[in-house]
Amino acid sequence: MESAEPSTSDVAALELDALTKTFNETRAADGVSLAVPRGTMLGLVGPNGAGKTTSLSMAVGLLRPDSGAARVLGVDVWTDPVGAKRNLGVLPDGLSLPERLTAGELLDHWGRLRGLERGLTRTRARELLQVLELDRAERDGVLVAEYSTGMRKKIGLATALLHAPEVLVLDEPYEAVDPVSARVLTAILRRFTDGGGTVVISSHVMALVEQLTDRVSIIADGRVLADGTLSEVRGTDATLEDTFVRLVGAREVGEGDLAWLNS
Amino acid sequence: MVELLIRLKFTLGRHTRSGTRWLTVLLLVGGTAFTWFLAVAAASDAVRSSLLMLALAVWAGSWILGPTVTNGVGVLRSQYFTLLPLDRNRVGLGLLVTMFVGFGPVMTLVSAAALAWHAYVSDPATLFLGLLGVLTLVVFSVSLGRLVFRGLGAAMHSRLGMEIASLQWGLIVAGLFFGWVAVQPAFVASGNLTERGFEGTAASVLAVLPTSWPVLAVDAATAGSWSAAFAWLGAFALLTVVTVLVTGRLLAPSVSTRGVGRRSRPLGSRVLEDRRSLLPDTPLGAVVGKELRSWWRDPWRGLELRSALYAGLFIGLLGLVADFPQVMPFAGVFAALIMGMGGSNMYGHDGTALWLTVVGQDRDTIRADVRGRQIAIAVLIAPPATLLSAAAIVASGQYWAVPHVLACLLVFTGVSNGLASLLSVVTVTPGVDPHKRVDANDTGDVQVQVWIMLLAVPLLSSPTLAVLVWGAIQGIPWIAVPVALFNGVPAAWLLGRVAHRRLESRLPETLTRIRYGKEIARRSLSTAGGGLLDRLERGALATNEEIKPTGS
Repeated sequence: MESAEPSTSDVAALELDALTKTFNETRAADGVSLAVPRGTMLGLVGPNGAGKTTSLSMAVGLLRPDSGAARVLGVDVWTDPVGAKRNLGVLPDGLSLPERLTAGELLDHWGRLRGLERGLTRTRARELLQVLELDRAERDGVLVAEYSTGMRKKIGLATALLHAPEVLVLDEPYEAVDPVSARVLTAILRRFTDGGGTVVISSHVMALVEQLTDRVSIIADGRVLADGTLSEVRGTDATLEDTFVRLVGAREVGEGDLAWLNS
Repeated sequence: MVELLIRLKFTLGRHTRSGTRWLTVLLLVGGTAFTWFLAVAAASDAVRSSLLMLALAVWAGSWILGPTVTNGVGVLRSQYFTLLPLDRNRVGLGLLVTMFVGFGPVMTLVSAAALAWHAYVSDPATLFLGLLGVLTLVVFSVSLGRLVFRGLGAAMHSRLGMEIASLQWGLIVAGLFFGWVAVQPAFVASGNLTERGFEGTAASVLAVLPTSWPVLAVDAATAGSWSAAFAWLGAFALLTVVTVLVTGRLLAPSVSTRGVGRRSRPLGSRVLEDRRSLLPDTPLGAVVGKELRSWWRDPWRGLELRSALYAGLFIGLLGLVADFPQVMPFAGVFAALIMGMGGSNMYGHDGTALWLTVVGQDRDTIRADVRGRQIAIAVLIAPPATLLSAAAIVASGQYWAVPHVLACLLVFTGVSNGLASLLSVVTVTPGVDPHKRVDANDTGDVQVQVWIMLLAVPLLSSPTLAVLVWGAIQGIPWIAVPVALFNGVPAAWLLGRVAHRRLESRLPETLTRIRYGKEIARRSLSTAGGGLLDRLERGALATNEEIKPTGS
């Protein structure tokens, strides 16, 4: 039987299709549409409260949209959640973890829940903990509850990577991560996309997105203001930050403002 | 600073909606009216004195219980002020002062004023002693309430502290459920309260309590012994000062690290070292392993588990003390029942960690998540509850109770296990997210769950209970044991099935409830109608208090 679906190489790795969500009369996402081609890294940037986390939450199945759809490799997240989530690795921002487990226990639990064979889980978990420099904490039996914010990000990232997904969605992965670990993280993400994987990261840090990603989307007030390759979005602007400020608007600090700080 | 803190308290209070405020108001007004009724209707000075001692002890007891039983008292959290360049102890005392502003303290003052009335009626010359006593009583009661509450919170940072808190909490729960057994003989012996007051042991126990000392001071002055009067009041004032200072110290912002102090690796944590695992390599095995570790290591979960066992033990002992030894063999049964209530908000305990279940969703994972939790609580409660009852039966020699206890254990463990899993899903109520918890009741309000459990467990166990009664009358009590098995096990299975199907159909909505709070969760439900589960969920949203700041 012939499939009516387009060939797999044409299908976007992650597609957000007119996602809309209203919280208490505030439109957190207003028809957010994005298509992330396979093998690329997209940076989703926007000011605080722009709707980045809301949009990504709807895209990965954590928050049901009021309307719109989301697809992972062509599989609808909301009509076939199991199929869509198998190929997806997610790192949300600021949520809890099973706090009373060590990192090793958490990964062992996660591997079994994901249906991975135990030997494979153990090998991958040991390697991830070593690369992310969590192996010492694991040796000391430190529980996730006792982790610092940066360490929490790293163990969250390990859970996103353990089952070797094809698409990674990471909300603020660099926040609170030290510079050395940030380099490791960048290397991991580069290797992942070189191998054909797709990454979406959200961030406030323009320089980071500019240096790291090949595609960028600017979102503000729940709407996508620009989307495309880095050079398409940047156009004639010198930096991404200039483009961002031009599109989102910026409040300049006037000469007389906050004068008391100099006293 | 105090004025600012009070204003902040009111501002925060305005943004917090409470479903049970009217009940608190009703209890306070009723309590005040009853206190004054006792004071006015007492037949003599001596009777009024003993009744006042009881009333004042109950008021202080309510201040101890209130903040822990209800939720949301920690409106002004001391950690908000950690970074301010203020003396920590001054902040602590300032926070304590804010506790005196509100309807509760005012009604306590009005009630305590019955002591001034007692003084005036006994001998007008003792009125000033009575007035001093009134003020000291209010300061003592309110401070003591905060002391116990924060003491419980501080205890959550060490294993030993958690054990003591469990003991304390177990005693409170036992008192709530079975306190009447202990008090009842005193009431029976007293006959008409306002005619005769208290006599015997009850009276001497009451007289020892610190809240009775101001009453004793007034009584001593009325009898002409002014030195004794000043001694009683002075002792009480001294105790009050100590309570205030200790409470201020406990309320001061803490800058110590969080987490339970530990010297060695947690038990069972060498999972990556190629050891054999007892649990199967499946999602169900994964959940059981995670749950058993969490129940064992998390002080907040440990408190639920241990306090249930202590409560069972204390209920048994209360029965023994109150000459009601038939209660004792059922200690384990009560522990199993109370543990069921402790497990009725498991997803609330986990907080936003539910995201892992959402993104890791596969064909069998949701069912495994619910079933794994059921297995974990059954493994944790059934053996110790059975042991507790077995020990109680051997110690009391009440071997007649064996079939009854066995039947009750089987049916209650099964029914409450199933109900706990269902309520954990449908009436999930988040507390403070796990990695930010400080106080003992930061895990989320469970009043709806507790009430439903109290009504539904006997109802769903009624086939067994009916056969138990019939069998006892017929002299064949053992017949109830197989019935309990066929009642309890299917109940656990069936309710668990309803639970995982509900979770599967409302998985993101359940996470939304935990992550964004009740206002946003309410939008995912129709405002009326729907099935029983929808109604239950709406009931919990309307009643259980929110102690989590909303937003992501």
